[in-house]
Amino acid sequence: MAGTIRAQYPSTIRPIRINCTGRVTPNLLIRAISKGADGVIVAG
Amino acid sequence: MLQAARTKGLNLYTYSELEDIKGFVGNFDVKIKRKARYVNQDCNGCGACEEVCPAIGSNEFNEGMNPRPAIYIAFAQAVPSLAQIDMTKCIKCGLCQKVCELNAIDFDQKDVIQELKVGSIIVATGWDEYIPPNGYLGYNTYPNIITQLKLERMLAPNGPTIGHLIRPSDGRRPNKVLFIQCVGSRDLTKNTYCSSGVCCMISIKNSKLIKQHYPDIEVCVAYMDIRAAGKDYEEYYTASREEGIKYIRTNISRIGEDPKTHNLKILMQNTLRDTNELQELEFDLIVLSCAMVPPNEIKKIQKLLKLETSRDGFFKEFHARLNPIDTKIPGIVLAGVSQGPKSIAESISHARAAASSAARLMSKDKFRIALIRAIVDKEKCAKCGLCELNCPYNSIKLFDDGAEVNEILCRGCGTCLANCPSEAINLRYYREKQYEKQIDAILEEI
Repeated sequence: MAGTIRAQYPSTIRPIRINCTGRVTPNLLIRAISKGADGVIVAG
Repeated sequence: MLQAARTKGLNLYTYSELEDIKGFVGNFDVKIKRKARYVNQDCNGCGACEEVCPAIGSNEFNEGMNPRPAIYIAFAQAVPSLAQIDMTKCIKCGLCQKVCELNAIDFDQKDVIQELKVGSIIVATGWDEYIPPNGYLGYNTYPNIITQLKLERMLAPNGPTIGHLIRPSDGRRPNKVLFIQCVGSRDLTKNTYCSSGVCCMISIKNSKLIKQHYPDIEVCVAYMDIRAAGKDYEEYYTASREEGIKYIRTNISRIGEDPKTHNLKILMQNTLRDTNELQELEFDLIVLSCAMVPPNEIKKIQKLLKLETSRDGFFKEFHARLNPIDTKIPGIVLAGVSQGPKSIAESISHARAAASSAARLMSKDKFRIALIRAIVDKEKCAKCGLCELNCPYNSIKLFDDGAEVNEILCRGCGTCLANCPSEAINLRYYREKQYEKQIDAILEEI
């Protein structure tokens, strides 16, 4: 979406594609934060 | 309908309801409740029973405008042309049994559950007319305010008034008729959508009909925009203006009634004029052109078929522009207004597309699925059943030895694995480990 509407977003945001937001486990969120990410956005 | 009834190999179950459904594309097990008519197949639709029946109710088909006996034939073109008894009205006097020469009346008939095995399902649930709240634009408060469907029945040659236009308050012919467009549609407090221009075209058609029957009746249409999008529709609209039908662009701000004559007074501002002044006009009959809304009964079908609905309440298609025919569940296809408001021509095109989509699926022996499916490690499974509870596609079931995935129903969303407390479920090609590695790699470079 951000690409098709040519929206700018900071280069420090790293998207990971997931089949469905239902697939996101707490494990993945906690892992990302514990490894140093400032935050996680679950969008879908 | 008649043609369908006569086609060999096509079984028509009218007066029936979907009771239960199990299975998946190619292997649906469907249970249909065939409601008791209390009249068997020997009936030839002669109508002798209707004449003797002493129990009278109102005729639903004519919008309650004329009486109907408890035993009746649904409407003139009903297929099959069998009588049926409304048991809420019937007094079981047995007069119909005496008069029926074919002994077709059977008070002991019971609902029958018919089980069918089908490969694909086409949902064609149609629409209902929006019912305005009591008092809104005078509906259900002033007798001379009717809805479009009532007018349709009145103008029908086989309707309750044999095609004559009358005012419900006194039975006289009206001299000034007003149509109000967009009742319950294009309204943020009611339905936000436009009913695909269908109500516009019905109003144009009916105002032309009235003008043709009674050239001296003054017909006006109060509208926001006339949406005449479709082949020959704009020409039809232009022709109606040339025939003398008046179109007023306005929002009606108030409707009042003269209590003696039951004439209706409206207060409005013609927004195509430069002045802001309010005009008061008087009419004999007002017709509300109501929105098309999904029928209430579709909620049951929606639950049974596990279909999604869009914001407007109609069934949600696979993709609004690229595939408005299929649903997200393989083997279930939408036809006509079940997907959203449509005109007759659009409904026919949509239904034909639905038929070919269903047939294309059935003409092949094989059904290809993607391999991205949930897989269960039965040794880890604690048999809690959370996956079965949370699966949006009903594809995972708990058995004695653990949960099992139906790979045809499963769409690979992964909701089950996110909910699994014992981490027994994984998604093929999209395993937890793979995502963990992705996260690690991304965070390493930063």
